[in-house]
Amino acid sequence: MKDQQATDPEVLRVVHLPHDTPDVLRALAAALGPEALELVLLFFSPKADVTHLAAEAEKVFAPANVIGCSTAGELTRNGYEEGQIIAIALPHSLFRARNLIVEDLTDYDSDRLVAQMLQNRNQLAQEASDFRHEFNFLLIDGLSRREDVLAADLSLGLGPVPLFGGSAGDGERFGATFVLSGGKLYQNAAVLAQIRSRCPIKVFKSDHLVPSPRKMVVTEADPEERLVREINAEPAAREYARILGKDPEQLDTFTFAAHPVVVRIGDQHHVRSIQRVADNGDLVFFSAIDEGLVLTLAEPLDMVDHLTAELDALAAKGPPAAILACDCLLRKLEAEQKQMTGQLSDLMAERGVVGFSTYGEQWNSMHVNQTLTGVAFYAPDETGGAT
Amino acid sequence: MNPADARPLNANPDSLINPADSLERQNAKLQKITAALMRRVEQGSDGLGAAYAQFQRAALLEEEVRERTRELGRALDLLNQSNAQLAEANAETEAARRNLTNAIETVQEGFALFNADEKLVMCNSRFGLHMPDVRDRMQPGISFRTYVDTISRSQFLTLAEGETAESWAARRMERHQDRHVIFNARMVWNRWVQVSEHRTPDGGTVILQTDVTDIMRLERAERDRMLDTQAKLIRATLEHLDQGVCIFDDQARLVGWNQRFGELLSLTVTKLRMGIGFDGLFERFRDDVQFTGGMSADQVEHWVRSETSRAPLSFEMRHHNGRVLTVSAQEMPDRGFVFSFSDVSAERAAVQAVYEANEQLEQRVIERTLELEDALAEAERANASKSRFVAAASHDLLQPLSAAKLYVGSVLADQGDAQTRSVLERASNALNSVEHILGALLDISKLDSGQAAVHLGQVPLGRLLLQLRDELAPVAAAKGIDLRVVPTSVTVTSDATYLRRILQNLIGNAVRYTARGKVLIGVRRIGPQVRVEVHDTGPGIPADQQELIFDEFHRIAAPSSASEGLGLGLAIVERACALLKHPLHLRSEPLQGTCFAVDLPRAAKAARQRPHRSHRPQPLAELKDLENMFVLLVENDADLLSALTLTMEQWGATVLAAQSAVQAHQLLAEFDVTPDAIIADYQLDDGALGSDLLTDLGERMGPVPACLITAQRDRIVQQTADRLKVQLMTKPLASAALRDFLQNAYQQG
Repeated sequence: MKDQQATDPEVLRVVHLPHDTPDVLRALAAALGPEALELVLLFFSPKADVTHLAAEAEKVFAPANVIGCSTAGELTRNGYEEGQIIAIALPHSLFRARNLIVEDLTDYDSDRLVAQMLQNRNQLAQEASDFRHEFNFLLIDGLSRREDVLAADLSLGLGPVPLFGGSAGDGERFGATFVLSGGKLYQNAAVLAQIRSRCPIKVFKSDHLVPSPRKMVVTEADPEERLVREINAEPAAREYARILGKDPEQLDTFTFAAHPVVVRIGDQHHVRSIQRVADNGDLVFFSAIDEGLVLTLAEPLDMVDHLTAELDALAAKGPPAAILACDCLLRKLEAEQKQMTGQLSDLMAERGVVGFSTYGEQWNSMHVNQTLTGVAFYAPDETGGAT
Repeated sequence: MNPADARPLNANPDSLINPADSLERQNAKLQKITAALMRRVEQGSDGLGAAYAQFQRAALLEEEVRERTRELGRALDLLNQSNAQLAEANAETEAARRNLTNAIETVQEGFALFNADEKLVMCNSRFGLHMPDVRDRMQPGISFRTYVDTISRSQFLTLAEGETAESWAARRMERHQDRHVIFNARMVWNRWVQVSEHRTPDGGTVILQTDVTDIMRLERAERDRMLDTQAKLIRATLEHLDQGVCIFDDQARLVGWNQRFGELLSLTVTKLRMGIGFDGLFERFRDDVQFTGGMSADQVEHWVRSETSRAPLSFEMRHHNGRVLTVSAQEMPDRGFVFSFSDVSAERAAVQAVYEANEQLEQRVIERTLELEDALAEAERANASKSRFVAAASHDLLQPLSAAKLYVGSVLADQGDAQTRSVLERASNALNSVEHILGALLDISKLDSGQAAVHLGQVPLGRLLLQLRDELAPVAAAKGIDLRVVPTSVTVTSDATYLRRILQNLIGNAVRYTARGKVLIGVRRIGPQVRVEVHDTGPGIPADQQELIFDEFHRIAAPSSASEGLGLGLAIVERACALLKHPLHLRSEPLQGTCFAVDLPRAAKAARQRPHRSHRPQPLAELKDLENMFVLLVENDADLLSALTLTMEQWGATVLAAQSAVQAHQLLAEFDVTPDAIIADYQLDDGALGSDLLTDLGERMGPVPACLITAQRDRIVQQTADRLKVQLMTKPLASAALRDFLQNAYQQG
């Protein structure tokens, strides 16, 4: 096997420009070069003129398909950035992809969706039988509150193929998030890319949180709205602050990022991130919630050490050629609070991690929070040969 | 996940209860917490929040679901595969059924297949064709019994007398038990159907119905026709035979015969008729025949009447009509029997004629033999009287001849006149010749008359030859001929007098007929024999003369002097050799010379005439026991050569002394003899080696005792001697050792 550089630009072509660059899409397309592309992922800052972008993208990158979403920050070659538009291109020589749009997350036929997934997968297998590695990439409206349901429904069509994805963001405003597909912008929608590659891949999920002994019980909630009204029979925000030992008035996004809660299912813990405090003192969560849940306060490990170890693990059998990642907004916020942003940013730039900051991540059949979830690509199989 | 996950999590009630609250408040809150938890537990995953429930399920079942999904995928693939195979198999089955149907339809016979449960599976359109009234009922599904019952009641089936449809069906079912059934069923209008039934490997039954009416009719006609033809053929064959044949059945009644039978036994046609008994027939001619070879009429009758199986009988008889007949009788498989008669009159007559001719011939041979014996006796008498006459005449002539010689001798002694003296000397020579001739004639007559006495004894050949050489050397010298005798030590068994006469004549002849050159006499050992060869360089004898020279008075190229003989020499040699049984050989080439050779048996070793060896040491120089031993000595030093030669000659050996290998070869070639021993110097002139010479001679003559002499005392010479298996002696030579070597060699020889 050839000695690949850690950031071989050839497996993923990655370019980015500030959102206000004139004729930004054409400039990006020019920067991507003439190589035939199978799929272009476009992650754009909510500051960009999203409507205009959507209309242009289809034409500019044709014949390649374009999917994308708005972000809560971009992960470029330089690490954490904001106000950017990043184009990540999958070259035709190494990838084949089929896209599937779910236009309305509150009203879709899950059976048909699964059938369509199976069909696409079969077609891909016939079209590119010598591209022996598969994964699914999901982009979903980050404010739809339907991520858990969709992820569960899609799992029926996954078969043995792993899935990961991210929820579209809107900076730190939580106003409107968009999903882009086929030249159209969608809200309350999701797009699934089923991808085959000549490159060996590894889909991963990483979080740096460990449960503490401090527990609380949700005594009143509105699961539909992901609202927790009462904890331990007290208003939720106040009780959370009390257990945390903080003044309820000081609770902000940084607090939630630094002190998420986890639920225990079986012998695994899953993060339930808190988005914000509602005006009436309810806690708004990023993921599904219910009454009677036992929430455990989690404590974070050192983010830089932890991420270094996780990336080293991915490079155990040779460094990956590229890593496409969905990084939870809360991780960035926590890093900011702990003045680790620069270190984390440099680490990810150095290891070639690109993608965007999300409002949540999807991992196979689950919707999760406060993780770094992604796929690592390794040097491609020799053409027609075995790995 | 983090290692912290594994840490047991102690529920800390402190975090649930705000210590700032009053107890009532704490109690109320705990009750609400408990209620929420209980709701959650009881509602399980079907709680209010469907989204969370889905998340929980996903988290719980994540791995399991994925594994199940994988298995399901695999199962689906297999199912698809099986479906495809099933479809294919179905198609194949359908095709096979179609093919089978088509195939049985093309069969020209009625065909039906019953399965192992005795149900009709399928039949073709010809099945039951010959029974139109029940044919419609032959439908798949009917049982075998129904089939049998149905056809048994068909009006087209003809039942045997006394048979009912039920009994026919019962019999048919009974036959159905067999694995293979074939029978012919009779139909109305004299039609026949052959039904064959076979069991299939899985217990089913196949039935074939074949209309064999035509075949049956043809067969019957054919059988009748063939029987008739066979009878005619037998008749014609019988008539064609040269033998007389009569055939009887098991009751001994005549059932067949040919005309030749009547002829041979002179029986009129009227006496031969079908069915007549053997006794009656035999009665008609038993007095006309005469049996030979111990056979009698009674024996023949006994053979015919025999109750047990009859062995074939063969005998000969003579009929009054003059014929001789050989008769053979044989039983036939049905206890009938057949007689055949062959006329052998001609053969018997021929044998008689040959026998008579033979007798006459023998008589003539006896007569001739007697005549010849008489003639022989006559001839012998004549020859004997001739020999006696010659002997008497010779003897009688010798007396006056001696007297005449004495007279001439006395006159010669007294006579001084040279001319008279010359005449007298010639007269004396003439008388000597006459005496010589008469002596020869006497010899021949003795040999011819067979009265010559032979005294076999040990004759030392070397001495005899040397005497002859001395005797004839002056004559040879006078003619300038080189007469040489190769010394020999061999002793032969022969009559000394006759042998001397033989060799004397051969050598004398050689000297006489050789004008120049040489005469060489040598002895060759050939197995238990020795061959004395007399070579000359004379004119040779042409091939056409080689037989004649042994006749009396025959001479070739007669020399001028009549005194040299009348050519009786070879006649004497031949007769003497024949008498002594010594084979005589002649080899001659005109202008090349002649070789006469006589083979003589060697005398046994023990009888060899040699001085007795004493155990006490004797003065070496005085011992002459190596007499006639022939030694080849090769030594380049002239002084040593002559000294050694002298030494060995003192011991009686004949030494062929050579100074080089070339000279040694020349000497051996000249004498054409194998030496009894060889003594060779190892170091010869010009780098030649005595060992090489020994190797050379060994190859040419076979093993001869040999000895290497050398002044070198080194290992190479010793090794060479060992390799050649010869003795090694070092100089200066000890004469005792040399003598030992020669004696050993002589004894070996």
